[in-house]
Amino acid sequence: MRTLKLTGQVVALAAVAGLLGLLVWRLTHQSKPPKIGGPAPGFSLKRVDSSGTLALASLRGKPVVLNFWASWCEPCKGEAKMLEQAWQRYKSKGVVFVGVDYHDVTGDARRFLERHDITYPTVQDGSGMTADRYGVSAVPETYFIDRRGRLVGEHIKGTVANQQNAFFRGVTAALGS
Amino acid sequence: MIVRIAVVLVAALVLAGSAAAACPTPHTSLSKLEGEIMCPTCHTTLDQSDAAAAQRIKHHIQVLIAQCRTEKQIKADLVANFGAGILAAPPHKGFDLLAWWLPLGGVIAGAIAVAFGVWRWSRSRGPDEEPPGSGLDEETEQRLDELLARLD
Repeated sequence: MRTLKLTGQVVALAAVAGLLGLLVWRLTHQSKPPKIGGPAPGFSLKRVDSSGTLALASLRGKPVVLNFWASWCEPCKGEAKMLEQAWQRYKSKGVVFVGVDYHDVTGDARRFLERHDITYPTVQDGSGMTADRYGVSAVPETYFIDRRGRLVGEHIKGTVANQQNAFFRGVTAALGS
Repeated sequence: MIVRIAVVLVAALVLAGSAAAACPTPHTSLSKLEGEIMCPTCHTTLDQSDAAAAQRIKHHIQVLIAQCRTEKQIKADLVANFGAGILAAPPHKGFDLLAWWLPLGGVIAGAIAVAFGVWRWSRSRGPDEEPPGSGLDEETEQRLDELLARLD
C-alpha cells in the first residue's frame, strides 16, 4: 500500500513537472519580432510564380526587398504596380524583390500576380509561420535585407505606395551596406 | 459603372448556374464546414469571422463544393494551402492523436485516482476496526461503572 501511495505521488509530481516544463518551453520559444540591424529570419518556401522552393539563404550577398502580401488584401493591390516598377528599376543593381504570399489560396495568388503583372519571385506562406517570425501583424508589410542578411532601413507597415520615401530609403540601405 | 456591375452580375449568375449544374448533389455545405475551419488571420472559426481572409476562404470552399468535392477533399485542399492549423480540430492521426487521447487519459487517470481514494477512505472507517480506548486504567473504569450503576 505504501509503495502504491509513493508511486501515485511520483506520477502526480512528474505530471506537474511536465506541465511546468511545457509552460516554460512555450514562454521561451515565443517568436519575437526581429530587430533592425539583426539577422533576417530565414525561410525556405514553395514558389507561387513557378515550381520549386526559394530559400532566403540562397540570396545571401544580394540586397533583398521582402514584401508580405495577400490576394484578399485591398491595400496590396494598390502597391503592386509600384513594387513591380521598383523591381524593374533596381534589379539591374542586384536587388532582389521577393513577394511572400500570406494566408492565401494558391490559385488566388497566381491570379493576383497575373492581374498585376508581377514578375519578381513570389513564395507562399500559407500557414503564416514565416510572417510570424518576422512579426507581421497585417499585410502589406515590407522589410529590407542587406547583402549580409541583416534587416536594414525601416520596417514598412502598410502600403509602400503611401510611404515611398521610407521605401526608397530602405532599398538604398539594403544596397549600401 | 452600371454596365460593369451588370456584366459582373451576369458572369456570377452564369458561373453559379454552371457550378450547380456541375454538382447537382453536393457532398457537403458551407454552413457545415464554416464551423470546422479557422480564419487564419483572426483565429476564430469562419462562421464567426467577416475578415477578408475568411471571406476569401469561404468563397474558395464554395467553389470546391460546386466542383463536387467531398468534405475530406476540401479539408485536404485547405491544409495544402494553409497548413494543418486551418482545421478547428486536429486530425485523428499521427502526433495529433495526442490532442484527442491525452485529455481522455487525464480524465480516466483522475477518475481512477478519485475511486482509489474513496476506496481507501471507506476501508479506513470499516466496521471491523476496534473503537479507540477510553484512556482510563482498569480500576478507575470499574469505579466509574459502579458510580453509573448507582445513578441508575
